[in-house]
Amino acid sequence: MYQILTISRYTLLEARRAHLPLLFACAIGAVLASAAFASELAVIEGLRMQTAFYAAGIRLAVVFIMAAHVIASVTREFDDKGLDMLLALDLPRAHYILGKLCGFLAAGAVVGLIACVPLLLTAPASAALQWGIALSLELAVVIAFALFCVVAFGQFMPSAAMVLAFYMLARSITTIRLMSAHPVSGGDTLSHAVSRWLIEGLALLLPALDRWTQTVWLTDAPEAWRGIFAMLLETVLYVTLLAGAAMVDFHRRNF
Amino acid sequence: MLPRLPAFSRPEIAGIERGVAAVPRWVGLLFVTALLAYVALRASEPAPVAAASALEAPLPVPALRVLSLGEPQAMAQTLVLALQAFDNQPGISIPFLALDYQGVIAWLNAALMLDARSQYPLMMAAQLYGQVPDSGRQRVMCEFVHRKFLERPNARWRWLAHCAIVARHRLNDSALALRYAEAIAQHAGGASSWARQMRIFMLEDMGEIERAKVLLGGLLAGNEITDAREIYFLTERLEKMRSVENPAAAPKTRQ
Repeated sequence: MYQILTISRYTLLEARRAHLPLLFACAIGAVLASAAFASELAVIEGLRMQTAFYAAGIRLAVVFIMAAHVIASVTREFDDKGLDMLLALDLPRAHYILGKLCGFLAAGAVVGLIACVPLLLTAPASAALQWGIALSLELAVVIAFALFCVVAFGQFMPSAAMVLAFYMLARSITTIRLMSAHPVSGGDTLSHAVSRWLIEGLALLLPALDRWTQTVWLTDAPEAWRGIFAMLLETVLYVTLLAGAAMVDFHRRNF
Repeated sequence: MLPRLPAFSRPEIAGIERGVAAVPRWVGLLFVTALLAYVALRASEPAPVAAASALEAPLPVPALRVLSLGEPQAMAQTLVLALQAFDNQPGISIPFLALDYQGVIAWLNAALMLDARSQYPLMMAAQLYGQVPDSGRQRVMCEFVHRKFLERPNARWRWLAHCAIVARHRLNDSALALRYAEAIAQHAGGASSWARQMRIFMLEDMGEIERAKVLLGGLLAGNEITDAREIYFLTERLEKMRSVENPAAAPKTRQ
C-alpha cells in the first residue's frame, strides 16, 4: 500500500511539474472566452448559450488534456528507462499500475471539479456539482483506458488513436444501437442481424458516455442524485476492469 | 491481453511474452470478476428507447458565420442537411406534420442568410415542407417563399410559381394564387414567360375576363414577347376571351 501511495504521489507531482495546471487554466480561459463571445452574439438566452458552450467545450478539452497527459507520462517512463529501474526494485508490477492509476485518477478528479467552478456563476450550484462529479467520473474512465492502451502499445500515437476511437464510440454507442435496432430498410437480412448482434455485444463492453456529463443538466433538467450514484458504481466497475486488463497485460510483458 | 503488434512495440520489449501463469492469480481473478460484473450491469440496463426530440431554434446567423470559419456556404449546406435529416432521427421517423414549422422556417432562413444563392432551402420549403396535407402549414411555407422571393426575385421565382400552383389547386385559394402570380410578373423580369403570364390565365380562371384581356392585350402590344408561336397562341387566347362576350364574332380556332 505504501508503494502504491508513493507512486501516486510522484504521479501527481509529475502532473504539476509538467505544467498541467497551467495548461488546464489556459483551456478554461480559452473556452470561457469563446463561450462569452457566443453569448454576446445571442439575441436572447445569452446566459444559457454561454453555459452550454462552456460545458460542451471544456468537457472535450479536459478529456483530451488528461488522455494526452497519461499517455505521454507513461511513454516517457518507458523511454527513459525509469520503469526498468523501478521494476528492478522490490515492487510488484500490479502496484506500479495501481499507483500510476491512483495518481492519474486524483489529478482527473481535481481537474473535473475545478472545471465546474465557472458554472457556479451561470447554473444552479447542485446542477454544477453534479456536472463536475460526472465529468470527474468520465475522466476516470478515459484515464483508465488511456493507461491500459499505453501499457499495451508502449507508444504515443497508437495509444492516442485508440483512446480517441474509444471515446467517440462510447459517446455514440446509444445512437448506433438505436439505428441498428430500427433500420430504415433491410431489417430482416442476415447481414443486419449479424451487425446488430455485434453492436449489442460491443455495447455490453462500453460505457454509454453520451448519458454522462450532459449540458442539459445545467440549463434545463438537473439529473437525479440516484443517477449520479449509478454512474459512480459503473465507473468503479469499469475502472477496475480496465485496471485488471492493464495489470494482466503488464505482468505478461518481458523487459 | 491485447495481441502484440510488432510495429507498435519498442525493440526492447518486443521479446517473447510471458505465459498467463506469470499473472498473479488475484490479478486474473480481479479482471475476470470485473469483466463479468460489468457485462452483467450493462446487460441489466433497459434498451435505449427512441424518442423524438424537439426541433431547437438555430443559432443566430452572426454566430453561425463565426462558427463557419469563413465557409458560410458549407455551414448553410450543413444546416439544410441537418434539417432534412431531422425527420429521421435514430430509431424513429417523424412526420413533417409533427414538426414545428416556425422552427423549420428559422432554419431555412438561416441557411438562406448564409448562402443567398442556394436554391436548396426554398426547394425544401416549397417541395418538402409545403406538401403536407395541412393547409395552414402549406400557407406558412408559401408565405415564407413569397417573402424570400421578394429579396431576389429573378433567382427565386420558380419556387413562388410552384406556390402559386399549390395555392390554386391544393388550397383552392385563387386570390392567393393570383397574388403570387402578380408578384412574379411585377418583380421577376428575368422569369420565364409562362410564369409571368400565369396571372392572366388565373384571372381568366377566376372569371375576371376584363382584367385578363387588358393584361394580355398589353403584353401583346409591347415588345416583350418575340416568339412567333407564343404571339400566335396568346392572340388566339385573347380572341377566345373576346368571343365569350360576343359569340357572333368568335374566330375559328384550332381544336
